[in-house]
Amino acid sequence: MSENKVLTGGGLLFEVLQEHGVQHVFGYPGGAIMPIYDALYDSDVQHFLCRHEQGAAFSAVGYARAAGKVGVCLATSGPGATNLITGLADALADSIPVVAITGQVPTAAMGSDAFQEIDIFGLSLACTKHSFQVTDINDLEKVLHQAFEIALEGRHGPVLVDIPKDVQLAEVTERLDKLSHLKNKVKLPLADISKALDLLTHAKQPILYVGGGVGMANAIEEVRNFAEQTGMPSVSTLKGLGAINPDNENYLGMLGMHGTKTANLAVQNSDLLVVVGARFDDRVTGKLDEFAPNARVIHFDIDTAEINKRRAADAAILGDLKGNLPLLSMELSISAWQEELQQMQKDFGWRYDHPGENIFAPAVLKTVSDLMPDNTCVTTDVGQHQMWAAQHMSFDDPSNFLTSGGMGTMGFGLPAAIGAQISRPHDTVIAVSGDGSIMMNVQELATIKRYQVPVKIVLIDNAKLGMVRQWQDLFFDGRLSETDLADNPDFVMLSQAFDIKSQTISKKSQVKAAVEEMLDHDGPYLLRVQIDAKENVWPLVPPNTANDKMMENV
Amino acid sequence: MSTANLNKYQLIIMADDKQVVLERILQVTRYRGFLINGMNAEVNTGNNVATITMTVSSERPISLLIDQINKLIDIKGVRVDNSAVNNKQQTA
Ligand SMILES: Cc1ncc(C[n+]2csc(CCOP(=O)(O)OP(=O)(O)O)c2C)c(N)n1
Ligand SMILES: [Mg+2]
Repeated sequence: MSENKVLTGGGLLFEVLQEHGVQHVFGYPGGAIMPIYDALYDSDVQHFLCRHEQGAAFSAVGYARAAGKVGVCLATSGPGATNLITGLADALADSIPVVAITGQVPTAAMGSDAFQEIDIFGLSLACTKHSFQVTDINDLEKVLHQAFEIALEGRHGPVLVDIPKDVQLAEVTERLDKLSHLKNKVKLPLADISKALDLLTHAKQPILYVGGGVGMANAIEEVRNFAEQTGMPSVSTLKGLGAINPDNENYLGMLGMHGTKTANLAVQNSDLLVVVGARFDDRVTGKLDEFAPNARVIHFDIDTAEINKRRAADAAILGDLKGNLPLLSMELSISAWQEELQQMQKDFGWRYDHPGENIFAPAVLKTVSDLMPDNTCVTTDVGQHQMWAAQHMSFDDPSNFLTSGGMGTMGFGLPAAIGAQISRPHDTVIAVSGDGSIMMNVQELATIKRYQVPVKIVLIDNAKLGMVRQWQDLFFDGRLSETDLADNPDFVMLSQAFDIKSQTISKKSQVKAAVEEMLDHDGPYLLRVQIDAKENVWPLVPPNTANDKMMENV
Repeated sequence: MSTANLNKYQLIIMADDKQVVLERILQVTRYRGFLINGMNAEVNTGNNVATITMTVSSERPISLLIDQINKLIDIKGVRVDNSAVNNKQQTA
């Protein structure tokens, strides 16, 4: 910045972003955020113009999740701000550190139903971890620092900072000489270590139940060591996938509604659950009263409010998993239990010997998983393809599998992949999407085109809102209400309109070559995989049913 | 919701004096399934700390609400002022 140019609120924003190591932001301009975009013009922060604010929010989420940093998105007031909300809700549900900056009408106009005025501060209450509205330029710097601190403190989450236009334009006269940190609240001294050790020593059929908190606590190594040293069989939630090394012989896969048969039966028969960074989500537990009915519970979490929320803990250990879990490490004599479960895994393993010429989606995703380079980051949309990806692809780190877990938001996959690719330019990024989901943020193909983001898209095309169709078939007498997408656009032609190389495959014999071509291609690529509309995701625990009463494709 | 057989609790909440803090408490209280029977809020202008007393009722254990209110950034502390009820001890 030139010497004689005064620092404005907008300029200050980018200085603070850079102090927090932010190099990339995702956004969309408009009237009430123009001073910030004017300051961007002079800034070294790189901005990616998304084609919808929801795309910007999800790219920030993907960026944060793939890189383990805070993702930042910008939007103007009114409709720009409201378009961020789904992304913020998604980040809240999955505890993702995101800072969203919204422009607001000038302070003097606030509360007058001004053009493009919406009370985004009020709207933010239910979909952010915290939010600020800055009405005085002298508060701006402190608030921005706090926003980053809050996003990353304890359980991560999204923070919104709403900045009226006059504050963006105002001259900054004083800078903070030191950062004032948040007063850390005194945490409950809940750490029933000796109770937990006692439970562990007496357990004959323990299970390690691994959630998304493990990756966020940076405790993958500790959890893997614990699994090795105890030999405890482990299961993972959707968001925990990758935390346990998939080659661990006592790892049983995902539990819950579409979990593996072995994982669900093991949990149901366990006498102790060691829960790390997980929260007994209803998609995990099935019918809560019948979930792991004979198990005692040791619950590790950073969030006090998760302890005893859905399942009472016999021993609760609050705080940093990284430091706490090793306190429990010990050798266990559970070989009978291990062997029983290993045998079940052999008996109930996945099968890919699907009859006929048509493509079997699980097999395609298995092929992609086998052929993709190390450290590939996979994102998904929401539906059957998401569950197939979770079941049939292998990940060695949770930051390599980005999926909308808590919110289950269609439209997540494509913009999240863009954000992931920008944060990790040297890694392969693959978005596994569905023909329904991709249309929810299809405009982001233009972002791919503009920045030549080399994302690979595997579009599992069943010409249906497949997951809803599956439920209609199973639970609503086959009354297929509004789930047919036979009139989808020509996805190959659509891709080509955005300079994205593309082809369709529909036969098993084409799969390997097509996946190789996609992975070898330098730029963005969309592989449309036509599958049979009638395929279902198995196993399935019907809603509000115990996890051992799963439906299977037999 | 029928208000019969609901447990009643009185909460005392200490918070930073921010305009939005009341809205946050109301939102969390409603969302977590508690009815508000009465509320009083005052600010100590000396130290800018707001004290909010709130009577709530629910079928759910009060510890669920205390933990969620306590999680709000602007909250300094929450406790139950009702010796008759069983609850987790909370101080902050
Ligand atoms: C934004 C949003 N709207 C609606 C839903 C409900 N929903 C869940 S899965 C699904 C179908 C998804 O279709 P598609 O992307 O083609 O995936 P498929 O199940 O066919 O693999 C729908 C509509 C949702 N999860 N998110
Ligand atoms: Mg589909």
